[in-house]
Amino acid sequence: MKTGFNFAYLDEATKRMIRRKILKAVCIPGYQCPFGGREMPLAYGWGTGGIQVTASIIGKQDILKVIDQGADDTTNAVSIKNFFKRVCNIMTTDRTAEASLIQTRHRIPETTLNKDQIIVYQVPQPEPLRKLEPKEKETRKLHAYKEYALMHVKLYEEISQFGSVIKTWAYPVETNNRYITDPTPIPKFDNPKMNNMEALQLFGAGREKRIYAIPPYTKVKSLDFDDHPFEIQTWDECCSICGSTKSYLDEIIINNEGKKNFICSDTDFCKSNLEKNK
Amino acid sequence: MNIKKIMHVENLTHFYGNQIGCKGINFDLYKGEILGIVGESGSGKSTLLKCLSGEISPSAGKINISLDQGGVKDFLSLPEQEKRQLMRSMWGIVHQNPRDGLNLRISAGGNIAERLLNVSEKNYSFLRNTGKYWMEKTEMDPDRIDEFPLSFSGGMQQRLQISKILSSNPQIVFMDEPTGGLDVSVQAKILDTIKSIVRDINVTMIIVTHDLAVVRFLTDKLLVMKDGIVVETGLTDRVLDDPQHSYTQLLTSSILQV
Repeated sequence: MKTGFNFAYLDEATKRMIRRKILKAVCIPGYQCPFGGREMPLAYGWGTGGIQVTASIIGKQDILKVIDQGADDTTNAVSIKNFFKRVCNIMTTDRTAEASLIQTRHRIPETTLNKDQIIVYQVPQPEPLRKLEPKEKETRKLHAYKEYALMHVKLYEEISQFGSVIKTWAYPVETNNRYITDPTPIPKFDNPKMNNMEALQLFGAGREKRIYAIPPYTKVKSLDFDDHPFEIQTWDECCSICGSTKSYLDEIIINNEGKKNFICSDTDFCKSNLEKNK
Repeated sequence: MNIKKIMHVENLTHFYGNQIGCKGINFDLYKGEILGIVGESGSGKSTLLKCLSGEISPSAGKINISLDQGGVKDFLSLPEQEKRQLMRSMWGIVHQNPRDGLNLRISAGGNIAERLLNVSEKNYSFLRNTGKYWMEKTEMDPDRIDEFPLSFSGGMQQRLQISKILSSNPQIVFMDEPTGGLDVSVQAKILDTIKSIVRDINVTMIIVTHDLAVVRFLTDKLLVMKDGIVVETGLTDRVLDDPQHSYTQLLTSSILQV
């Protein structure tokens, strides 16, 4: 470990403040707690919120996994992993099952998480109602009074225009029958995994300075209409590497003729699936 | 016959600094009744309407309301949440400018659906059918349900605003100059529509206007306001045919005889 840093980069007082906010967030599932976000050695939009949450809860025994769009080997994931290696001197892993702490951007791992794990989401915009109501003062009231008609009006509009809800990512959910929550830009394919998850789910938004949480075994329901129930994406193809038909697939163009391939977005799942099938 | 009193207003007063907005207003509103408030510009009509609909909280006075569920309540001491809930479902305001009451970024059907979603209606086809039903009832073309309010004419926008408010089957509707800014033929058509609907669904209404024709055509009872106070009150026909106060006499005699 390089000297000149406190363990996990943040000073102890800051970590304490963030931990208190995390506790509050866990007590009120889905409620956005403001916190004193610090500047991190990383640009806003690259996971400053997630990093601060991770830094506040990480311990010397933790094994960290970081994913970006499901992959362990992308720039954002690699540099955040290196950052924590340097300031915490901890173990990192690519294996979902081995990790005790997972920081993620845009995906939930395919492997089911267990009660000994914590997943930290990087959040670009914590307020699900922001695009519908620009005023923060008003959105806070809408949450406080549980006035969520606007959100359903948006779904109504999509059904009336396109025949079905076309929102495929950051699909709004209702947490614990109370707060409407932004699940971050994960595909709606991952929404059902949030429901009753055994692991603790923490969300950090650095630019907006908000933390929210979904405690283990909490009901998370994707919004829908009685006669237009929520559905996840499906593919006709399977993963061209491991052959999986159950995972979320990325579409990749592989030559100049526009030939397409579909592969698992979760690289760890894809590898283990391949090993298993050998 | 026992008609239910749904609003009781006592000594309602509002000051803007030292300036009188409205002063010492008393009236009762009964179920199914249409109350008109007339007066010239600056007479305090709109201030009164804002006090009644909870938009501003008056300096003094009392408003008791009687809800379908929950008995008599002191409106002014209701928590903000309940006031908002009232305005979003049980009550409704039709603004003079339909753009104040409509969400221009969502379709006509979406505007109507928003009211119903406020009362937790989560069935898409129901929302759709109710939207079409109310558009038809206010004499709009239900095929235009997916169009945006800006593609409608001013009169149509006003009809859409009225459908939106009425779709949740409200107890009291407040109308602020519902036909202001529309040309006479459109005015007449909208008044016709309003009249036929209110008789149909037995809604209670408070209409603020300076147009005596609107009052004569729609209202049962009338408050005449001048300089923030009510100068005369009574049955509409009585007040207009036999005005007692000098201001009301001036008002009725200044209708243009063409």
